[in-house]
Amino acid sequence: MSDAELDPQRDYPLASHRPELLRTPTGKRIDELTMAAVLAGEVAAEDLRIAPETLRLQAQIADSVGRPQLGQNFRRAAELTALPDDKVLGIYNALRPRASTRQELTAIADELEHDYSATLCARLVREAADVYERRGILAS
Amino acid sequence: MSTRSTARPQAPAVPRRSKRTEILENRPVNLDGFVEEWPEVGMVAMDSPYDPRPGVRVRDGVIVEMDGRERKDFDFLDQFIADHAIDAEAAGRAMALSAVEIAHLLVDPKVSRRDVLAVSCGLTPAKLLEVVKTMNVVEMMMALQKMRARRTPANQGHSTSARDNPVQVAADAAEAGLRGFRELETTLGVVRYAPLVAIALQVGAQAGKPGVLTQCALEEATELELGMRGITGYAETISVYGTEAVFCDGDDTPWSKAFLASAYASRGIKMRFTSGTGSEVQMGNAEGRSMLYLEIRCILVAKGAGVQGLQNGSISCIGVPGAVPSGIRAVLAENLVASTVDLECASGNDQSFSHSDMRRTARLMPQLLPGTDFICSGYSAVPNYDNMFAGSNLDPEDFDDWNAIQRDLQVDGALRHVPEAEILAARSRAARALQGVFAHLGLAPITDREIEAVIYSHGSKELPPRDVLEDLKSAQSVMDRGVTGLDIVKGLEAGGFPDMAEALLGVLRQRVSGDLLHTSAILTPELTTLSAVNDANDYAGPGSGYRPSGARWEEMKRLRHVVSARNPEQEVG
Repeated sequence: MSDAELDPQRDYPLASHRPELLRTPTGKRIDELTMAAVLAGEVAAEDLRIAPETLRLQAQIADSVGRPQLGQNFRRAAELTALPDDKVLGIYNALRPRASTRQELTAIADELEHDYSATLCARLVREAADVYERRGILAS
Repeated sequence: MSTRSTARPQAPAVPRRSKRTEILENRPVNLDGFVEEWPEVGMVAMDSPYDPRPGVRVRDGVIVEMDGRERKDFDFLDQFIADHAIDAEAAGRAMALSAVEIAHLLVDPKVSRRDVLAVSCGLTPAKLLEVVKTMNVVEMMMALQKMRARRTPANQGHSTSARDNPVQVAADAAEAGLRGFRELETTLGVVRYAPLVAIALQVGAQAGKPGVLTQCALEEATELELGMRGITGYAETISVYGTEAVFCDGDDTPWSKAFLASAYASRGIKMRFTSGTGSEVQMGNAEGRSMLYLEIRCILVAKGAGVQGLQNGSISCIGVPGAVPSGIRAVLAENLVASTVDLECASGNDQSFSHSDMRRTARLMPQLLPGTDFICSGYSAVPNYDNMFAGSNLDPEDFDDWNAIQRDLQVDGALRHVPEAEILAARSRAARALQGVFAHLGLAPITDREIEAVIYSHGSKELPPRDVLEDLKSAQSVMDRGVTGLDIVKGLEAGGFPDMAEALLGVLRQRVSGDLLHTSAILTPELTTLSAVNDANDYAGPGSGYRPSGARWEEMKRLRHVVSARNPEQEVG
């Protein structure tokens, strides 16, 4: 579904114009997320999340309206959908100044790449490690 | 206008002062703080001899020198901006234009927004500063009218309580939504109250008009956690700073913040960063740069991180630029620069900065007249003593003035007059719905007496005190039990508020589509996304762009007291 060619003028907002392209990470269609389904216990909190494919569609839209940085953020976000909440919070805290050694940041980048195929996020963490080292804000 | 004149006999040693001096001494403006410039410590708004000269050198697609600094000497902001915010390919051509030429592109309505963006994406911080330094405030307003990302302006309100009273927060949120605010923000006196107050805001917001988005300003990691659970709808208090030392004091870096931006997007949650002039000098490390130069670095960090927008306009440091010459011009300039690099701008008019009603109004006009994505990034929808963000430039006492100014000038400030009966009904609905949700979730009960009081109250002083210990236990249990937005939906349904349950589910469902992640996105009351993608600003001079008309203009004509032209005895409302 990420192969779809989107035209921002015609297709955005996706929820209104291209709902058939949207799935929850649990595989439900957006029109299945009804009040009746909620009351029947058929909708869980995990169903109210965005799928990586959807973020890549939105990245395509961001790129085509001239917002490459926003698009890149959505692509990093697509990678992070695979990580549990506490893992995401943990990496954020590790990126704070003087919170991690170079080895710790490198280990995080490796894990992102190998366990989650999160190559863009891994690149961001490695870049941080280089800059933090040059600017003296790694943990000692 | 009232004056306080007390005729006192002068002590002999004191030189005699005129009656007029005495009257002026007693004017509220003289309670404000004014200070002379001191560029060496950064106590200067936007014109410092110590700001760098603009320049850029690109080698093999990489910026190797920027604003007089070699790449090896870049601090972390320089490097982040050079590598992520500036389009190195566009930089050569854009930087070759003079600051005045670029300012002309900004002001001239015949130059499209898109054409400006093709230049602004290649500009360095020092160059952007040079550009706005050539502009006076009227030129900046002309430019902002064109450069704001979303065509339709909107507004954001604060709903907080000095006692962290969730019933009050819910009722004021409902009223604020009804009055037109599309985003509502809360924060706490006692941080442990956060889950209860955030739930109250979320519930109350849907009682006024569906689709109002809510946030709770907290420390970054906690704010993200509430967002992930769906207890809040978006996030804003993601602060960035203009010097490396202050950024580190804030316990973050551009990389940690960029990661955080992706973390929010990965859960489908809208977010923007926050920054503002004066924060670095206030935190004691401005490296001798002007406030605006440092703020432009913040703006470009936000751009580089790929976050869709920024709350700026000094915000919680407004007393600092507000005290120096040309400071309020610099605050407008920061809004303009954010819009000029294609970010959503929630444009301040937030924390209170002046005792003078004239200065408060003058500070508002540069955002209200051209329109911004959010004219106030915190209009206080609660009385000043209840405002836990240290007050706002606008208070609930100003609602009718705001509506009259909109009508006088035919300028859309995104608010409206609402008849009292509708307001009381919405406040009641919000409080009753919260009562139902708390009961459903087994939280500290809300009594009918509290509800009756909150419907008619102005602030927390008029409300029965709550059992704080019980509330805090409830707040803790919300976190321990992992209560989510979906549980609030179920609570609303169980409490007999199916339409509000439906509205909240609609808001939560937005996370699945990600439409709200785009620049300047808001939800309409029909729960459709309106953003800079499908509501792009198309201002191109007189006769074009957004102008209030039709039903919206009719709505703006209504005030608390409007009389019939044919029969002045009759109010038409």
